[in-house]
Amino acid sequence: MTSSETTMHSSDTGTAAGKVLLKAERLERKFGGLTAVADFSFELREGEILGLIGPNGAGKSTTFNLISGFMPPTSGQLFFLDENITSKNATYISRKGLIRTFQHESLLSEMSVADNIIIATTHRLKTTAARQEKMRKIAGLTGLENYLDVPAGSLPHGLQRMLSIAIALAAEPKVLCLDEPLTGLQGVEVSAALDLFEMIRSKLGITILLVEHNMRAVMRICDRILVLNHGRLLAAGTPEEVSQNELVIEAYLGHKK
Amino acid sequence: MLRSNPGLALCILIALAAICFALFSGDPYYVQVVIWVFANAVLAVTLRFVLLIGELNIATAAFFGIGAYATAVASTIYDLPFFISLLAAPVIAGLVSALFGWITLRTKGPYFLLISFAFTEIVRLFYTKSEFLGGNSGMIGMFPPMVLNDYYPAIAITLLAAILFGLYLTERSNLGRVFKAIQNNEDIPRSVGLNVIGLKILCFVIASTAVGLAGGVHAYTNSVIAPADFTFFVAVLALAYVKIGGEGHIIGPIIGAATLTLAGQFLHSFGPYENIFYGAIIIGVLLLMPGGIIGLGKGFIGSSTVRRDPH
Ligand SMILES: Nc1ncnc2c1ncn2[C@@H]1O[C@H](COP(=O)(O)OP(=O)(O)O)[C@@H](O)[C@H]1O
Ligand SMILES: [Mg+2]
Repeated sequence: MTSSETTMHSSDTGTAAGKVLLKAERLERKFGGLTAVADFSFELREGEILGLIGPNGAGKSTTFNLISGFMPPTSGQLFFLDENITSKNATYISRKGLIRTFQHESLLSEMSVADNIIIATTHRLKTTAARQEKMRKIAGLTGLENYLDVPAGSLPHGLQRMLSIAIALAAEPKVLCLDEPLTGLQGVEVSAALDLFEMIRSKLGITILLVEHNMRAVMRICDRILVLNHGRLLAAGTPEEVSQNELVIEAYLGHKK
Repeated sequence: MLRSNPGLALCILIALAAICFALFSGDPYYVQVVIWVFANAVLAVTLRFVLLIGELNIATAAFFGIGAYATAVASTIYDLPFFISLLAAPVIAGLVSALFGWITLRTKGPYFLLISFAFTEIVRLFYTKSEFLGGNSGMIGMFPPMVLNDYYPAIAITLLAAILFGLYLTERSNLGRVFKAIQNNEDIPRSVGLNVIGLKILCFVIASTAVGLAGGVHAYTNSVIAPADFTFFVAVLALAYVKIGGEGHIIGPIIGAATLTLAGQFLHSFGPYENIFYGAIIIGVLLLMPGGIIGLGKGFIGSSTVRRDPH
């Protein structure tokens, strides 16, 4: 099936799952002899929160690097908003509306919180006033309004994670890819972050691809979940389906039993 | 900005007083020294400007030379008018730097530093081998037109000061913020739609164009230029100005250039020992004042070393 057929088909059904925004076909990435991602195909549909889970080293961050143009795939194809973006660079893809965060070093540590967010508005907004306004709005959404002058590197950890999301939001994504945004957050912070994700999806209309290790959070917030193991898709489905999948329990949750 | 920053305002005031003294004293030596201070300040400030994106640009010496040679060729070989010959300096330096940056700024790591060093020495060797450019003895006879002669020092200082001010405004603009972001972690600006390589090239071209114009001014100031004026050592000295003045704020390299250039005038009297004293000063300052002179005066200069924009 071509991507346009998929799109028509899904809009016909008119269910919770909207049209396909992002589509990966048989994605593969090798590092020398190591295959970090192999034969990985998936679709991200408008309006959903899609989880991407898997043990450390499963290839989740590499997948982010591939879809955001930070690294070319060794083989396979990528489509975003009905355009083949396989060979496009990160600047092009982020301008088109796919914005990713980073698992590590996810902000400008030496610059103020305000400057971090303003940098992300630079491409879309051309006047200082518009950038300031946007920056304040995003800082408000992410609970950073009282830290605007603080150097990002000296923020408390939880607020640093919020800032990396604020940076991504300020770039006005259509698809937001979050790489382990909950790492190191305390209980209250986790539920605040999940509320924020839910708000980003419903109020801002942004589709989310979420890589996360916090299983309870993933199960709670995701509509569908993809499970990667050794770079390959092990299972896909609703949280219930995935959590009952034998292969997943064995490969991923097994040690918890 | 000056109101919130009495230290900086005072520095500027002292500088203006010194310039006026030099211009009206009528002593050509003082005038010459003031122009040297400004030209060296431009060298230091343009070196620091490329440091904003995290690259050490030895080729700042090369583009100073390319500007000087462009003006010399335009004025002595093609007999072009004064202002057009001056304009040739930033234009040629800008074009060459765009090509050089486009080729070299794609790679990460120490390559840019090494290539910019090699480029500086290759360009200098090219001058020595080129008969057209006067070989080892260089080029001579760049004079401002008679009618402008009395005003030339004022024109030169105004141009150099305008370069410094232009770079200061650029750094304070959103573009300056983006350059610092690239230095801090270039993946972040790239992930939000900025063309990082293009912006790096832009930063480099701005600095090279600016230092090229200073080279053109230098050609007219000295009337004589030679390949030996544009070795990589020019960039090493510029780095010393930056380190001694302090690199946290654009005023640092300017203070560093002024201090060392003036010190150099006194040290001339030591003859062959000049460079030893010079080296001792540089090492001493670097060891005793890691933040440079503006680091010492942080309390005094106040907010000038730390950027606080009114958000
Ligand atoms: N730039 C790289 N160079 C070499 N190997 C890499 C690189 N990035 C990731 N890898 C390897 O690819 C595999 C998948 O890594 P990654 O995608 O970071 O996993 P995850 O995010 O799921 O923990 C790991 O074995 C990792 O060591
Ligand atoms: Mg990872």
